[in-house]
Amino acid sequence: MSDKIGVFVCTGYGIGQALDIDRLCTVATRECGVPFCTTVESCEGPGLQSINDDIRREGLRRVVVAGISPRRYAEGAFPEGVIVSAFALREHVTWCRPANDEDTQMLAEDYLRMYIARVKAMEAIVPFKPEEAIDKSVLVVGGGITGMTTALETARAGYRVRLVERSERLGGWLAKQHRSIPTRPPFRDLEDTGIDALAAEIERDPLITVYTSASTSRIEGAPGLFDVTVTSTGNGKPAGTVLDTFRVGAIVQATGWTPKEPRDTLPYGRLPDIVRNVEFEEMVKAGGPLIRPSDGREVRSVAFIQCGGSRDKAHHSHCSSICCLTSLKQALYVRESHADAKAFIFYEFMRTPGQYEDFYRRVQEDPGIFLTRGEVADVRREDSGQLVVTARNTMPGDDLRVRVDLVVLAAGMEPNSADGEAIRALKDAKVQAERGESETQRREAAEKVARLQRHEGTEILNLVYRQGPDLPVLEYGFPDSHFICFPYESRRTGIYPAGTVRQPMDGVASREDAAGAAMKAIQCVEMTSRGEAVHPRAGDRSYPSFFLQRCTQCKRCTEECPFGVLNEDEKGTPLLRATRCRRCGVCMGACPERIVSFADYSVDIVGSMIKAIEVPEESEEKPRILALLCENDAVPALDLAGEHRLRINPFVRVVPVRCLGSVNTVWVSEALSKGYDGVILIGCKYGDDYQCHFIKGSELANTRGANIREKLQKMALENERVELHQLQISEYQRLPQIFEKFMDVIEQFGMNPFKEL
Amino acid sequence: MTVETAVVDPDLEFIRLLDEGSGHMLKRCFQCGTCSATCDLSPDTSPFPRKEMAWAAWGMKERLLNDPDVWLCYQCNDCSVRCPRGARPGDVLAMVRREAIVYHAFPAFVGRWASQPAAIPLLLGIPAALLTLALLVRDPIQQALGWAPAVGTPILYAYSRMFPRWLLNGVFLAFTLLALGLLAGGVARLWRSMGRLHGAGGPSRRARGLVGSVTSVVASVLMHDRFVKCTESRSRYWSHLAVFFGFLALSLVTIWVISAPYNPLVRGAFIYPFAFLSPWKVLANLGGIALLGGCFLMIWDRMRERDHASVSTFGDWALIGTLILVVFTGFATEVLHYIRLEPHRHLAYFAHLVFVGALLLYLPYSKLAHAVYRTTALVAAEYFGRTRGGGRPSPEMAGTAADNAR
Repeated sequence: MSDKIGVFVCTGYGIGQALDIDRLCTVATRECGVPFCTTVESCEGPGLQSINDDIRREGLRRVVVAGISPRRYAEGAFPEGVIVSAFALREHVTWCRPANDEDTQMLAEDYLRMYIARVKAMEAIVPFKPEEAIDKSVLVVGGGITGMTTALETARAGYRVRLVERSERLGGWLAKQHRSIPTRPPFRDLEDTGIDALAAEIERDPLITVYTSASTSRIEGAPGLFDVTVTSTGNGKPAGTVLDTFRVGAIVQATGWTPKEPRDTLPYGRLPDIVRNVEFEEMVKAGGPLIRPSDGREVRSVAFIQCGGSRDKAHHSHCSSICCLTSLKQALYVRESHADAKAFIFYEFMRTPGQYEDFYRRVQEDPGIFLTRGEVADVRREDSGQLVVTARNTMPGDDLRVRVDLVVLAAGMEPNSADGEAIRALKDAKVQAERGESETQRREAAEKVARLQRHEGTEILNLVYRQGPDLPVLEYGFPDSHFICFPYESRRTGIYPAGTVRQPMDGVASREDAAGAAMKAIQCVEMTSRGEAVHPRAGDRSYPSFFLQRCTQCKRCTEECPFGVLNEDEKGTPLLRATRCRRCGVCMGACPERIVSFADYSVDIVGSMIKAIEVPEESEEKPRILALLCENDAVPALDLAGEHRLRINPFVRVVPVRCLGSVNTVWVSEALSKGYDGVILIGCKYGDDYQCHFIKGSELANTRGANIREKLQKMALENERVELHQLQISEYQRLPQIFEKFMDVIEQFGMNPFKEL
Repeated sequence: MTVETAVVDPDLEFIRLLDEGSGHMLKRCFQCGTCSATCDLSPDTSPFPRKEMAWAAWGMKERLLNDPDVWLCYQCNDCSVRCPRGARPGDVLAMVRREAIVYHAFPAFVGRWASQPAAIPLLLGIPAALLTLALLVRDPIQQALGWAPAVGTPILYAYSRMFPRWLLNGVFLAFTLLALGLLAGGVARLWRSMGRLHGAGGPSRRARGLVGSVTSVVASVLMHDRFVKCTESRSRYWSHLAVFFGFLALSLVTIWVISAPYNPLVRGAFIYPFAFLSPWKVLANLGGIALLGGCFLMIWDRMRERDHASVSTFGDWALIGTLILVVFTGFATEVLHYIRLEPHRHLAYFAHLVFVGALLLYLPYSKLAHAVYRTTALVAAEYFGRTRGGGRPSPEMAGTAADNAR
C-alpha cells in the first residue's frame, strides 16, 4: 500500500477556534506518518474545491477529511478513484464539546488517528459485474388491478413485462364487481370498474406478454438474472405443463387477497340467507331482481354487518380498510333495487379514509339507509323465512332488532401470500423427523411438522432461495418489509409486493401502489446493472467477498442474512448471489471465522480504527468508551445532537457501523483488550414494529449478546461493561444521557484492568 | 336483557317527511350530541334532541310522535346553528310536533286537511257554513221561543241583532268544547308517556304536586323565561310575547263579554257594548295591536331566518295568517261600525266570526294546538320532575341516558 495519503483539517464552522489545529496536524504528520496535511477554511463550495484541487495536484490516492458530517457531502463530491474517509469533526467534536478543552482536543486527535487508520486499511471499490448481461424486464405475478397497472406502468416506461395470472382472465376481484366506489370528486356516484378498458390496453401493448391460467413454478437467480419457469394451472393445458421459460430482472408480486371466513359466532354457512360481501356483489352483478337464496323471494331489506370477524383478536385482528366502503356501496345497490328497500349497516367503527368521507355522507343522506354503531349479538331465522338481527349498544337506543331478508357480512381480506420461511422450516422439520439423531429430536421435529403443516403446498413464487420459496411474511401474512419507513420494500431484493397482498387497500390505492412497485422494479434493474445496491444503501458499490478457503460451513451467514442473499451448496458453503445483496454486513457480523469483508468495511478496517486511539494510563482517570453506532439512525442522531449543541461525554469514541448486525464480536474483545473501559452498541428499534433498516440486524446484535458475555467471562470482566441500546433518529436528546449513564456504570466497576497490560 | 326488544321497522314515508322538513339534512346526524349539550332547555337525563335525531333517522315514528320531550323544545334553533353536520335538530323537532298534532288529531282526516294549503277553501267553508246555518235558524228559533228582537236601539242594525247573544255564545261555546274534547285524547297520551318514560312510574319527590306544577308553568309561560334562554334568535322572544299577550288580552275580553251579562256583580258600563274609552275596549284594542305587531314581527323573522336556521312550514304560516285575519277583520268590524258603513260592516263581522271560528274549530289540528300540548308537557315535566338537575329515567330510557353520559 504505497498510495499517497492526505489529511485535510477544516478550520471553519468554529473548529479552528475550538481546537489546537497545529497539534492536530502534528498527530497526522508525525505520529501517523501522513505525508500531506493541510487546513481548509470550509469543506463545502470553494473549500471542497480547494480540497479536490489539492488531491489532484498532490496525486493523493487516500484522503481523510476532518470537517462536516460525511452525510452532508453530495454524491461524487470527491474525485473518482480516490479513497475518502471523512468524519464529523464539527458535529461530533467541536459542536458538542467546550472549546479549547484538553478532553475535546484528545477526542479530535483520537478521531483523526482512527480515520487515518481506516483510510490506510480501506481498499478501492470495484463494483460487482456478473458474467451474464443484466436483464431489465419485469415479471408481474397476479393479473388483478394492481398487477395490470404495474404491467402498464412498467411498459409505459419502456421496459418489457411478463404478466402471469392464475385464473383464466385478467381482472381479479375488480372484474367481479358490479360497480366501483367513487374514485374522484365529488365522491357521490358509483362508477364503472374500468377493468375491461385496462385489459384491452394490456392486450394492445407490444411490451407486455400475458400468461393466463398460469403460475410461476420456479424462479431461480437474483435481481437482473431471475430465470423464471411458467407452468399451466390446469385450464386448457394439463396442470404443470411448462408454458414458457424466460429471464427477468425484477419481480412484482401482486397476488391480491382472499375473503376471510367470517367469525363463527355468526351463523354464516348455516343459514343460506347470510352471505359475505363478495357473494352479495356476485348476486348483484348477475343482474335481475335481488332474491333470497333460500326461497327465491324478493329482497326488500338487507342488514350489513361490518367486521364479520375482522378486528377481532381471536379471529382476524386487523382492519381490511375497504369493507366499510364496500358495504356503503352495496347499500346503494339495495336502494337502487326498489324505492322502499331498506339497508341497515351495523358497524363498530365506520372507516372511510380520506375523501371517501364524502361518499359516506352521500350514503348517510339516503332516507332508506340506516347506519348505527352496535355489536351484533344474534342473527336468527323466523318462521316467515326472514332473519332478525339483534344488535347491542346501538345509536337509536340500547338494543335494537331489525327484520331483514338478507344479511351481508363484511369479510376481511387475507393476503394471498406464502410464508417462505415457514415452508422452508417445514421442509427441514420433515427431514429431521425422519432422520433425527435422537428420539426426542425426532419427536420435537414431528410436532413442528404438525404445527407448520398448513404451509404445505402454499408456494406462490417458488423461489430457489436457501431461506424458502417465498417472501418472508409478518404475523398477519403480509410480506415483511421495513413497514414503518419503507413499506414498498420486501426482504427479497428485486421482488416487490404491491397492492392488497402488501396491505389491505382499495382500487385507487392499489393503482398507486402498482405505480410505486413498477418504479421500484425499474430502479432495481437499473441500479443492479451498474453494480449498485438498492435500498437502503442505495448506490453503494461495495459488496461482500467471502474467503471460502477458511469457511467451516457453519451456515450462520446463510441463515442470518435478512435478505436471503446466500444460497448453499450441499455441504453448506455459502453461494453468493451478489445482486441480491443490500450490503448491510450482517454476514460479516455473523461469521466466526471472519472471512467476510467489503472493500471499505471489514473486521480489519474497524478493528484498526478501534486500536488506533491512545488509551490514557489508569492514573490519568480518563476512561475510554467504544461506541458502535448504527449509521442509519444512531449516527444521524449524534449529528443532530451536535447540531443542537448538546454536550456529549468526551470519553466516548464513536465508530459508525453499517448495521448493528454487522458488528463482529471480535471488535468488543479487541476493544477491551486494548484498554477501553466499556463498549456501547446503539442500533435501531427491533421487535414487531422494528425500525431496523436491515430488518433483523439490531435484533441479531442483541441475540449475539450471549456470545459477548461469554467473551467477557473469559476475560474475567464484568457483563455490565457492554451495553446495547435502541434509538430512533428523533430521540437524539436521549443520546447524551445514554452515554452519561453508561459512564456512571463504568465508574462503579472502575477502570479496565487490561490497561496495564 | 329479559325484555324482548321490539323489532324496529323504519317508516320510510315518515323519514322522507321529516327529511323534507329539515331541508334534506336529517340523515346527516352522526350523534355527536352537540345539540343536546348546547340546549338550555334540555334536561340532564336522556336529553333531547340527540335521541330524537337518532329515532328520526331510523324512522321510529310511534316513538317520536308519543315523545313528550319534543314539546319541551321552543325551537330557538341554538342546536341547528351549532350542529356540525347541519342536520337542523330544531327544525326536525318542529316537524315532529307538527306530525304529532296530525297524529293525535281526531278525526284523522281533518288533521290531514289542516296541513294542506289546498284544503283552505274547505277549512274556511266549514265555519262559514255553520255560521250561515246559524243565521238561517236564528229567526225560526226566536219566534218559536217567543224572543222578540230588540227594537229602537240607536244602532240601525246592531251586530247583536245579527247574532243574538244566545246564538253567538251557543255556537262558539260549542266550537270551543268540541275542540277541547278532541284534544283530550292527545293530552292524556302525552301525560302518560311523560310519566312512563321520565317519571319512573310516579311523580318526582322534588315535584310540587299538580297545582304547584301548574302554577309554576303558568308563571314561566307568562314570563316567557324559556324564550329568554335562546341565544340564537332573541327577537322571537319579543314577537311571541306580543302575540301571546295580545291573544290573552283578546281572549279575556271575549270571556268577559260572554260572561258579564250573567254575572250578578257586573252592571252598567261594564256590560257589552262598551264605550270607546272603556277599559275593556282599550284592552281589546291594545291586544289587537299587540297581536298584529307580533305577527308581523314573526313574519319578518321567518323571512330573515330562512337562510340559516328555521324552516317554515304551511302550519306556521297558516296560524300567523289566521291570527292576522282575525285581528284585521276585528278592526274592520270596529272601524266600519263607527263610520256606519252599511252593509259592509256586517260582512266584515261575519268574516271575523268565520276566522275566529276557524281558529277555535281547528285548534286540535293547527299549530295552535302547541299551546295545549306544550303546556301539558311542561306541567307533566314539572310534575314528574323532568327538569334540569332532576328526573329519574325509566329503565327504557336508562340506556340512552348512560349513552349520553359517556
